[in-house]
Amino acid sequence: MATDGILKVKNIETLYGLIMAIRGVSLEVQEGQIVCILGANGAGKTTILKTIMGLLEDQPDKGTIEFMGKRIDGKDAEEIVHLGISYVPEGREVFPELSVEENLKMGAYTRKDPKGVKEDYNRVISHFPILAERKSQWAGTLSGGEQQMLAIGRALMARPKLLMLDEPSLGLSPILVHEIFRIIKTINGEGTTILLVEQNAKMALKISDYGFVLENGRIVAANTPKILLEDEDVKEFYLGIRSEESVKGYQRWKRKKRWR
Amino acid sequence: MFGQLIVSGLAVGACYALLALAMVIIYKTSEVLNFAQGEMAMVSTFVAFTILDAYHVPFLWAASLTFLFAILLGIFFEIVFLRQAKDPTVLGLIIITLGFEMILMGFAGWKWGPDQRSFPFPVSNVETYDIGGLLISKINFWTIVISVVLMFILFLFFRYTKLGIAMRATQQNPLAARVMGIRTKWILSFTWAISSIVGAAAGMLIAALGVLDPPMMMDPLLKGFASGVLGGMTSLPGTAVGGAILGIIENLFGGYISLAFKSVVAFAIIVLVLCIKPSGLLAKHYVKKV
Amino acid sequence: MIKRVSVFLCVAILSTFLLSTQSSAQKVRGVTDTEILIGQWGPQTGPAAPWGAVARGTDLLVKIINEEGGIHGRKFKYFLRDDSYQPAKTKAIAKEFVEQIGVFAVVGGVGVACGMTARDYLMENKVPWCGPVTGVYEWITPIQKYLFAIYPLYDDEAFNLTGYLHEKLGYKKIAMFYQNDDYGKQGVMGVERYLLKKKISLVAKVSAEVTDRDLSTHALKLKNSGAEAVIMWTMPTHAALILAETAKIGFKPQWATSNTLSDSALMMQITKGLWAGMINSFFGELPDSNHPLMVKYREWHKKLAPQERWGVFYYAGIIFAEPFFEGVRRAGRNLTPETWISAMETLKNWQGIGPPISYSKPNHPMDRQGGKHVFYGKVKPDGNIQRLTDWMQITK
Ligand SMILES: Nc1ncnc2c1ncn2[C@@H]1O[C@H](COP(=O)(O)OP(=O)(O)O)[C@@H](O)[C@H]1O
Ligand SMILES: [Mg+2]
Repeated sequence: MATDGILKVKNIETLYGLIMAIRGVSLEVQEGQIVCILGANGAGKTTILKTIMGLLEDQPDKGTIEFMGKRIDGKDAEEIVHLGISYVPEGREVFPELSVEENLKMGAYTRKDPKGVKEDYNRVISHFPILAERKSQWAGTLSGGEQQMLAIGRALMARPKLLMLDEPSLGLSPILVHEIFRIIKTINGEGTTILLVEQNAKMALKISDYGFVLENGRIVAANTPKILLEDEDVKEFYLGIRSEESVKGYQRWKRKKRWR
Repeated sequence: MFGQLIVSGLAVGACYALLALAMVIIYKTSEVLNFAQGEMAMVSTFVAFTILDAYHVPFLWAASLTFLFAILLGIFFEIVFLRQAKDPTVLGLIIITLGFEMILMGFAGWKWGPDQRSFPFPVSNVETYDIGGLLISKINFWTIVISVVLMFILFLFFRYTKLGIAMRATQQNPLAARVMGIRTKWILSFTWAISSIVGAAAGMLIAALGVLDPPMMMDPLLKGFASGVLGGMTSLPGTAVGGAILGIIENLFGGYISLAFKSVVAFAIIVLVLCIKPSGLLAKHYVKKV
Repeated sequence: MIKRVSVFLCVAILSTFLLSTQSSAQKVRGVTDTEILIGQWGPQTGPAAPWGAVARGTDLLVKIINEEGGIHGRKFKYFLRDDSYQPAKTKAIAKEFVEQIGVFAVVGGVGVACGMTARDYLMENKVPWCGPVTGVYEWITPIQKYLFAIYPLYDDEAFNLTGYLHEKLGYKKIAMFYQNDDYGKQGVMGVERYLLKKKISLVAKVSAEVTDRDLSTHALKLKNSGAEAVIMWTMPTHAALILAETAKIGFKPQWATSNTLSDSALMMQITKGLWAGMINSFFGELPDSNHPLMVKYREWHKKLAPQERWGVFYYAGIIFAEPFFEGVRRAGRNLTPETWISAMETLKNWQGIGPPISYSKPNHPMDRQGGKHVFYGKVKPDGNIQRLTDWMQITK
């Protein structure tokens, strides 16, 4: 792996009280790439993103996080946003009783350049024309897909260098999922580095440059999509393709043996 | 008599509404019913009184200094008491406000004594304007004007300023607000500051309408709470309207039905609204979609 | 040998037992060779706190008497407790007075409801109680051997005041504004009793709850009644509020009120001067009176308690305690509840700075009603009082 990554996470451990949710994760994101983290429910994907974002008090407990060559672990969210990371949380988390426009305005909260903000507003509208139509409607009244678009648009309003998306496909119809992934790709094409967390491995790997597989708070595989797509376990557990007949217990045992 | 009842109902209603707004601003942020609101306002009003009494400065000066004091008092309470609570439940926080209420009450009793005083407000509380046969006392008139102006400023602030929108955002989704880079802890302190200012304004008006003494806010606070409940405890315009309605209903009830039970009206309204339409009279609803 | 020892022991134990019971029978609660313990409750905090000054005024009198050497070689130790005007607390305080401190007597005590929770307990424990600070019938009916009332009865006071307005000043349309509790209602009782005798009725009867802060409707009702004179029986806050509200709507009747609102310095201040013109009854000398006792008390006040305002409520604490000390004086060195009571019953038109006080052997409730007089005055625009009458007997 090259060493000039925009984001470098080294050996972090994150605790919820006494429970260790992230157990020594290292990962790196290269500038301009789309990198995805795959993993089942409860694997710790969201926790990684929240740790990077500085949303968990006093975390990571161990390890370091570097963004553009600067240590950001231990900094608070407001500084991290300012440095250029935006986060689209799992489940959209729009402000339900703010209008669409006000939601977008909040995305640019830390910025002090009205002109740039205006440009970015137009850029967001060009990606998501529907948001312009719904401009003065309460965000809580939008459909799920529209809320996801709003959440992404809102994150873009900070003009991030790194955009982190937490399961953007969750609960959306297949057509909308395609649409969202297409837009993610476009945004990446315009120069924003993307760290994507997904359970929908097939879609995620399709647009990614690199992928990590997370299980129980540990990275168990890391490679290019092409190789990951060939991996028997990825196939079985994330793509739903069962390999040759085998006893389930044996499979599980084998996997454990290989990955831990 | 009818017109007179409406006018004076509006004037007290305006005070109720201001107090209710102060409570609602806090409630929306943290679901805490601030029972210290009345006493915070009372102490602020005493500060205004002391400044006016000791230094004979123009009233607007004293009012500005009082607002400054109110800001500090609000922030002080939030940081020194509420923020210290470990894993606070809403009930726990409410009990902290009750404790603060008692501290302030005791402090006021110790510092300014129990005697009633008249609050030197620049508007006479006995002179009247005669508007087409309807007598409106100057103090009622200005109480209504000042309250409406304050509410309008609040409305503009929450509607259009970045900080105001950020406060609403923090109320609605603190996690997302942090993700936007909003310093939510700072916003919380700021919320207390604003609420405390609004309360102090209500306190000065209430003292000007009547007399200034430590228990002066006990009844208005209850009425303010009832107005807030009428407005669903969440909507600012709803709360303002709730205060006006309560003031008028109370007066009409007292005027035409029974004076002895006039003060029970507020209780009845709290109970009725909580039973029938807990979201308040003007609450808008949105259905959360997934 | 053992037998003799045990007999000796038995005798010794028995005799100490007998001796000790004998000596404790002689001992009087709250009285030692050098000291007499007395107590009072009063609202130092809470909505009724302005009346808390009464208990502090008593403290001044206690200090004065101690400074002057006490009475019959004994000095007084005074226990002041804050009940915040909450009857439950008053009851606890009464228990503390009797069971923990062991007071000889209770003096003063603000509040009808507060005093009522303590009355029966104090009487059962034979604790002398002098001068509850309210003028209601509860203190003298049923008649209590150990309880000596001083405060002129509200009922009779209101009766007489109405008579003054009607007969002397010629008002026919009279309205009443009162506090909706025992205090206010006994005022209404007296007013209506008088009017019934004259076969006229109140043109309006408007009440306020203790917690009310908005009296605009009350004011309108009074105005619409067309009253020429309004009698009010309320607390200071409501008095100020109703004057402001009626002034706002241009209603200016002749006001008259009870001695409970006779602190005209305070009332002038909180009504911003609207108090001027009030016809007030008084149960004690006026604040600036030249009465020799008043002069003396004012001097001590300056020396011992300069932080206190020389207001009516404050020196009322002296008025309700003076007869108690006179009783102690007359009882002599052998002070017991019984000797004190006998001494109190010898008071006939005895006067300090309050009304003339008389008591008799308890055959009739009025035998325990010490104060039966008030006088009237009118508040001048500068806040001073123009005395309208001399002391007048209101209770027969
Ligand atoms: N606030 C929390 N307190 C305690 N445990 C938590 C908390 N949030 C998540 N966890 C636990 O941490 C682990 C990882 O959770 P999460 O990061 O949300 O997983 P994912 O996003 O991959 O579904 C899970 O076992 C989850 O139960
Ligand atoms: Mg997750």
